[in-house]
Amino acid sequence: MRVLILTLLGGALVAGLAAQNTTSIQATQKRAAAKSTIPHAPNGKPDLTGVWQANSTQPGSWEEANAGNGVGGTGANPNAPVAPSSTDRQSSQGAPYQPEAAKKVLESYNNRNIDDPTARCLPAGIPRLHSLGLFPMQIVQTPTQIVMLYEYTNVFRVIPLNAKHPDDIVPTYMGDSVGRWEGDTLVVDMTGFNDRTWLAGAGTFHTEALHITERYKRVSKDRIDYEAAMDDPNVFTKPWIYKSSMMLREGTHLQEYICAEDNRDVQEYEKLLKEGVKFQR
Amino acid sequence: MNKRTAMFLGALFLAAAPLPAHHSFGAEYDANQPITLTGVITKIDWMNPHSYFYLDITDDKGKIENWKFEGYPPNVLYRTGFKRDVTIKQGDKITVFAWRARDGTNWAHARQITLRDGKKLYFGPPAGTGDGGARPPVDTQ
Repeated sequence: MRVLILTLLGGALVAGLAAQNTTSIQATQKRAAAKSTIPHAPNGKPDLTGVWQANSTQPGSWEEANAGNGVGGTGANPNAPVAPSSTDRQSSQGAPYQPEAAKKVLESYNNRNIDDPTARCLPAGIPRLHSLGLFPMQIVQTPTQIVMLYEYTNVFRVIPLNAKHPDDIVPTYMGDSVGRWEGDTLVVDMTGFNDRTWLAGAGTFHTEALHITERYKRVSKDRIDYEAAMDDPNVFTKPWIYKSSMMLREGTHLQEYICAEDNRDVQEYEKLLKEGVKFQR
Repeated sequence: MNKRTAMFLGALFLAAAPLPAHHSFGAEYDANQPITLTGVITKIDWMNPHSYFYLDITDDKGKIENWKFEGYPPNVLYRTGFKRDVTIKQGDKITVFAWRARDGTNWAHARQITLRDGKKLYFGPPAGTGDGGARPPVDTQ
């Protein structure tokens, strides 16, 4: 009898352990399955290759993800409140500008951005290009370099991996980028900027001292978590961290966008100012 | 809806809405002057950085006036469902929801157009796009 009880107890214990093991194995399998949906390059790194829509959290094709919004819209009601744009405030906390610099930012905001560099068809710059969802961007990944192509203002970045910035950088709109992998995160170091772009929001200017560290982490098949830490001791009191997400848009292809073709905006602003039409806040 | 729910939904919307890039809406257009007009297309400019279409609009007394409407560039219109020279053409009668220009001329910023068969498409972004939003990017005391 005792043997029978012990046998039964033993059997129950084994069954219990087995059940626990099964649960644990299932969880491990689930995690592995989730991870396996992230495409990997032959060198084992996550493959970021694809067409992406910045500042969206909606999975699916471009049409599926944007149908309700009408791309950049607010929903079915065309009279709905203002949608946030690449010149809107990007977080609940204000950008950490020094007091004098903040006044300059506010001046642009109060003038409703008529001094926006993109209104003159100049490149939107980084991270602003990762704060807008109206135009897609594309990543092409190779073992030695990563290429980023942006439909908006038709600009690009060629990012060598494990390389150093050149010694003779001439300041440019898109700056100089070098990348490296930190585990599964692509880290891009950027320097060599001119002072003619806005960062993320109305009037968010910077100087040539700007230094940006970007982090790209593919957290699922559909999504990259993006972060840009901006440092410019001439205008900020501390680094400004901008976070966004990029969603995979399979089936979408980049198109041409030649802004200078018929840009009437600056001319219109000048006309309004001359005629005394009140538009400032 | 209580305040907390409203704030949550607001935050959810801000997190989910794609952010367009566009030149300032508010410098040229007045969000407080929405207008809905029906007319016949006289011309379409599929151009960068903005497309335009022009409508002949007939008032109650039979007087015809030509209006200009601004909207997305061709690449964005393609993704919102427009096919050039197919979806809208010269001579088509359409209805447009728009906001008027500040200078008071026959000029507006198009948002949504309704085709003759009732199909609705977005021709331009919402009011306020590109003019900095409701709050400046820096905290003000």
